[in-house]
Formats: sequence, structure tokens, C-alpha cells
Amino acid sequence: MKKFIKNNGTFIALIVLVIILSFASPSFLSSRNLTNLVRQVTINGIIAVGMTMVILLAGIDLSVGSVVGLSAVAVTLLMQAGLGIWLAILITLVGVGGVIGFFNGFMSAKFDIHPFIITLGIMTIARGLSLVLTQGVSVPVTNMTFAVIGSGYIPKLPSLIILVIALILGIFAMFKTSIEVRKGEKVRNKAKLTVGIILIVIGFIAGFYSFIGYQGIPIPVAIFAVVVMAGAYTLRKTRFGRKLYAIGGNEEVAWLSGINILRSKTMVFVITGVLSAASGILLASRLNGASPNLGDGFELDAIASVIIGGTSFMGGVGTVTGTVIGAIIIGVINNGMSLLGINSFYQMIVKGFIIILAVMIDVLNRKETA
Amino acid sequence: MAEEILEMKNIIKDFPGVRALDHVNFALEKGEILALVGENGAGKSTLMKVLSGVWPYPTYEGDIYLDDQLVRFDNTREAEEAGIGIIHQELNLLPDLSVAENIFLDRQPLNKFGGIKWEELYHNAEKVLARLNMNIDPRIELGDLTVGKQQMVEIAKALSLDTRILVFDEPTSALTESEINELFIVINELRASGVSIIYISHKMEEIEEIADSVVVLRDGATIGDKIQIDQVTLDEIITRMVGRDINDLFPKKEFQKGEKTLEVKNISIPDPFNPDKKLVDDVSFAAYKGEILGISGLMGAGRTELVNAIFGVYGKKREGDIYLKEQKINIKSPADAIDNGIALVTEDRKELGLLLDKDIVMNMTLPSIKKFSSKFAMDNHAERTVAEKYIDELNIKTPSPDVFVEKLSGGNQQKVVIGKWLITDSDILILDEPTRGIDVGAKTEVYRLMNQLVEAGVTVIMISSELPEIMGMSDRIIVMSEGKKTAELERSEADQETIMKYATGNKGVE
Repeated sequence: MKKFIKNNGTFIALIVLVIILSFASPSFLSSRNLTNLVRQVTINGIIAVGMTMVILLAGIDLSVGSVVGLSAVAVTLLMQAGLGIWLAILITLVGVGGVIGFFNGFMSAKFDIHPFIITLGIMTIARGLSLVLTQGVSVPVTNMTFAVIGSGYIPKLPSLIILVIALILGIFAMFKTSIEVRKGEKVRNKAKLTVGIILIVIGFIAGFYSFIGYQGIPIPVAIFAVVVMAGAYTLRKTRFGRKLYAIGGNEEVAWLSGINILRSKTMVFVITGVLSAASGILLASRLNGASPNLGDGFELDAIASVIIGGTSFMGGVGTVTGTVIGAIIIGVINNGMSLLGINSFYQMIVKGFIIILAVMIDVLNRKETA
Repeated sequence: MAEEILEMKNIIKDFPGVRALDHVNFALEKGEILALVGENGAGKSTLMKVLSGVWPYPTYEGDIYLDDQLVRFDNTREAEEAGIGIIHQELNLLPDLSVAENIFLDRQPLNKFGGIKWEELYHNAEKVLARLNMNIDPRIELGDLTVGKQQMVEIAKALSLDTRILVFDEPTSALTESEINELFIVINELRASGVSIIYISHKMEEIEEIADSVVVLRDGATIGDKIQIDQVTLDEIITRMVGRDINDLFPKKEFQKGEKTLEVKNISIPDPFNPDKKLVDDVSFAAYKGEILGISGLMGAGRTELVNAIFGVYGKKREGDIYLKEQKINIKSPADAIDNGIALVTEDRKELGLLLDKDIVMNMTLPSIKKFSSKFAMDNHAERTVAEKYIDELNIKTPSPDVFVEKLSGGNQQKVVIGKWLITDSDILILDEPTRGIDVGAKTEVYRLMNQLVEAGVTVIMISSELPEIMGMSDRIIVMSEGKKTAELERSEADQETIMKYATGNKGVE
């Protein structure tokens, strides 16, 4: 039991937080509020999935917030220039997210410069570019259908079908693992399996309650879900994911084992850049416009989500699922404190303490097991 | 009978799932040098941790008597105060502080304002160092000393604590010949002054030279009683350690020499810190199917650099050409080398060979992940099956393939590294000090494996600093000195003197 609590500390913390807030503020548990909460989480969450991979390599990407801003500005301006929605989005994802990510990764890996430095530089450069492009003022979205991406909903009936399919697939996956465990092909303790099933069921109930009880699944949430699943699959199952854990564990050993460090690192930063750009596009769509300062400070929330989610700053250890829980915790804290009428200045202070606390717990746990 | 200073009785220490120490008994006499030997994982380190208070009572069972008094230490400080000191394999010193500060760390003489009385500190340090006949200036920074001298400082530190029982854990692994001799003189002097010594080592020759008596540990238990060194042969000690006879330490088999597989011509590597010098200087050699090619030489002769160069570690900085079966190949990175069927078991397995906090499966399949994945997804079932096969074939002792390799003993870790490269099915296997720091039993297993590989058509190249090993296992021997190849000897022409002569750069009369 003690071990169970230790291994699932963040998850338990999230549940405790939800219980406290549901007592403190009656409107917290309303379908409408929960839908909004999840939609807020997606903006940070999508970036945090990429950030998980970066930190897994013992790296850091400080430029994500500025990429969000620049992407929002770029997609808006491209549409103003008369480009179609999809073309504008594609150009922004590749031209802003992809190119900046490539630069971040290639420069730091090729010349062995810590990504902190490179991405700090890019952070300022990208922000400056947004300001230059907009002359420092907000730019409105002219194409009205664009707003659907960030604010639209999947209708209730399809939403319900999606949720049920997700539930069945989730339980099926757990069932498959439990068979493998029984056959002795995988050693995975029962507690982990139980947690998995609990997570799936809670997720289903929460999803059903929040989305079906309101207006269906918000489109950004659906996009986030796809990103999370792709990210988790990449890290757990693919060759690329395996390489990332190896590089994060010991770069020298990975290199001597024939892994192309430059390619893997560059790829990770490209992924993070593209995801940040996607996040920026969603934000522009939701706000129906872009201000050059959009995304300011987003890197902190993304990094905090990853760390709270149990990814080690030293690299080599971490999961996307953990990061999602971390992102939800940050979302719940932001949302809860707003509901309770706590001034946003205090929110920053509280958030800072929570990050430190999360890392402290992680460090102490590690010391105990060592 | 001399008086007993220390007695450990029925010591039991359990870790989750394993009993590390199982009713260990032994006694140490005043002024005795007792060698504690055993394979890696036999429990030597754990036993010393119990003795020195790292594992406090009651995390272990059993009794420790010091001068016939039952003692139970709560921490290492209490053990230190009782006169028990340990010289660890990795030194516990601060390289940026002076020698004197290291000796009296936390115990510097202070004036009434809390400042350090430097002159007194240096004077005290000189006194302690003089006991070791060491001519070391206590004022210089520790980091400026050689490893051997640093170890002397560590010994001085122990002496300054009035240590009566001093444990040496593999003290010679980083020392040169002459430093080892110096160390032995000091150890003998310590014995003469009444200090009792527990000496842990893998090296049988050392034990024969320095120890009075031997206690053998195997699988956490003492095997037989303490024996006086002059009443036992080394073979008998080894038999006790591994639990079986080792008639032949080097089970060398000779096979028909086949085609030329690897040839390197004029390999040079510039020294990044000294443009006038080369780490590897114009070395050429060839290796053949069906033989083991040994590379001998002293530390710093450029042997590791040579094989690293072949493996692509230096990228474009390497000069010279590499041929595989007479075909020139282009190796710019380890990935290129692996693709060309070359595998390198690195010397430093912890830093360069293994992902310590990852499981055995992941470590073993890392260089061959392409084999265990379709375009995207890993085939976990296939990689696990292969890992299990090699765990079995290499006789790796582990409860499961999911164990993190940091939990394994040195010998088993080395086998994981070797397994990792066997899975690549390479034609050329380079082993850099494959038996360093592993026990006698595991060594013999590695040698047997080398025989099997040669028989299966693999070209094996082995670097070793141990002359008996090089002579025992190689068909041909290359000797290096200061980056250059100084000799190439057939098995029949190689003896210790000849190799040493070329290794020290002395071309001799021949």
C-alpha cells in the first residue's frame, strides 16, 4: 500500500485536489466548468507532450511559448493575406514550428551547446519576430470558419461513440497486458494494472459527465487526445522512443551502441516545435485573433507539467501519461483558484511552490529507493 | 596464539529477495594481514559495510566483537571512532583541497575565532605522513598528486583517526607496478606497528605476496576456516572461491587460421591537447578468422585509442584506412562500424557499456534494435526471447531479464555487455580489458566464450593489461608503446620479458 501511494503520488494528489475543490466551490464539478478546464489544459498539454521528450533527453526547450505566439501571429496573417485555412495551418506548422524546432535541435546537438542557451536565444528571436510582424498590436482573424477549430465541439452522439470506443479499447489493452503478465512475458505488478483500469474508468466517467453533460467533446480536446496517444505510443512502443530513453540514460553509451544522436535530438525538437505551433494555432482560433505576446510564460507551465508528471530532469526516465496528469493538475489549480476568487498574482506564487514540492517529493523518493 | 582484535560471528544480512551474508564467521588478529577473497557478489563488500557501520544494527543479524567487547555501530562515525577505517576502491577525497585539509577534514585545529590554524594543521599532517615514510607536501592540492599518492593520503587520513583495523578494498586496481610496491611497503609497516589489515582483492599474486592468511567467501558464506597463506596453494584458494576445480585458468584452444578479415593501415589519431604528439601513431595490422589477436602494452600506450579509432569514435579525425576482407570501408561513427559487423566491448562498462538504470533486455538489444523492430514498433516479445537466450547461454545470474543492470555484480554486468554485442552477430569482436574487475570464475567463462566465438568464425581482438591473460589466450600479440606498434609476436615467441621489453619502448637487441 505504501509503495502504491509512492508510485502513484501525483495521481492521488490530483484526486485529493479535485475532492477538495468540489467541496470548496460548488460550480467546480459542473459539466460546463470541467469542459472548460480540459479545454484550457489542452493548450499547455499539447506542448508538454513534446517537452516530455525533450526533458527525457536531459534537454530543455525554452522557446515553446514564443513559438506559440509566433505561430498564432503567422497563421492569422497568412489567412489575412488570403490563404486558405488548411494551407495557412500547414505553412505555420512546418515553417514556424518545424523550422524553429530543427534549428534548436540541430544547433544544440551538432555543436554540443546546451539547448538551454539555443532555445533561450530563439525564445527572444521568435518573440521579436511576432512583434515585428504585428507592429506590436493584435491582429484579428478574418476567416470565421477558422474559429471552429479552437471553439467547436464534436456533437454529443459521435462524442459518446468515441468515448465508448476509447473505453473498450482501453480495457482491451489492459486485458491483453494481464494475459502477458500471466504468461510471464511481462513483469508488471498488479498495482500498475489496477491503476491503469481505474484511470480508464475514471477517465470515461469524467469524460461522459463533462462532455456529454455539456456540448460534446471540444475539438481541441480531441486533438490533444490524439497527440497524447501518439506520444505515449511513440515512447513506449517505437524504436524511436527506445532510442530516446537510451540517449537520456547515457548519451555516450547510446552513441557507442550505434544510435544517431544528432538525428534523434533534432527530431525531438522538431516534434516539440510543431506541437507548440499547433498549440498556437488552436489558441489563435479560440481567441479569434493573435496578439504578439501570446504564449508568454507557457514554457514554465509545460516544464512544470512534465516535472510534476514524474519525468526526471536528469533524463532517461519519464512518461507521457505522467505529463498528462501533471498538466491536468496545473489546469485544476489554475481553474480552482480562479473559481475561489484568488487573485491571479497569488496563483503564480502557489504554482511555484507546487513545482518545488513536486520535485522535492521526486528527489526524496529516489533517495529512498537508491 | 596472538590476541584477537576483531571477531565477526554468525553475521546474516538480508536484502529483499536475497541473503547477501549467511552466517559469516571470521576473526582477525592483532597485526595480521587477512585477505578476504571471493567472486564478485560473494558478499565481501556487504560484510565490510556491516563492519563499518554503513548497515547499522539491527539491519543485520549476528555479533561483532572488538577486543572481546560486543559492538553495535549506529553509523560509520561510530565505527571510525572505534578504530575501523576503510580505503575504498574509489577514493573519498576532495581534489581541490590541500593534502592536509583532506587528512583532517572536519577536524582541523581551530583558533578561538573558528579560523583554521594552518601551521598546526600542516605540521600534524606532516607527522602522519611521516609515519608512512611519505614525502608529500601537505600544502599542495590533492588533485595534483598521482592516484597512488592520493591513496597514501587516504591511508594517512585513516591513521590520523587512530585506526586499528584498516580495510583495503581492491586498492591496487588503479595503481602502477611501482605504486603497488610502495603500497605494499606501507602495508607491511602498518602491520609492524600493530595495525590489523583486511585486504580485499581479486589478484591472487598480490594476496600471495602480502597476506598472512586468507578467508574465502562464496555466495555470502565463509568457505572453510581461515587458512595461513603458506599452507595453501593459489589453486586451492581459487577452488574454494568458485566451488569447482580450475585446472586451467586459460582454456586456450587453437583453431585453423583462416582468411584475413580486418586490416588497418597507417592509423593515426592526433592528441587533442598536444599537436606535436599522437595518441596512435601510424599503426598497421591485420587480423584473421580463427585467431585471437592480443594487444598488449602499458597504460596510456594508445591501445584503447587504437580500437576506438577502428570503431569510429574519432570520426573524421582518424587518419589511415580500414579494410574488411580486402575491401576498404568508410567508418565515421560507431553506427558505421556496427553496420560493417564490428563490435567493441568497451573497457569502462559502467560509463560506456551499460545503461545502468535500464533493464537487461533494453541494454542487450540496444545496438541491434533494428533487428527487433518493424518500421516503427519494437517487437518486445522477440527481444525478450533473445535476451533470455543469452542470459542463459552466458550464465548471467539474475532473477529476471527486467532487472536493472546496476543491481548486477561486476562479472554479470560484463556478461551483459558481451551479450549485447553478441546479439549484433558481428564478424569482428573487439574486447577492451574484458576481464577487468571481474572474478576468477567469470574470467574463465569469458575465455571459454572467446574460444567458442573463434570456433564459430568470429575474429576476436583482445586488449589486456594482464600479461598472463594476453599470453594465455592470444594466437598473436601486438605490443604498443607511446602510440606506436613496437612488436608483433607469435604465440610461441611471447614471454613476459619480451612483451615488457617492447611495451616499455625498449627495442632490445633482437
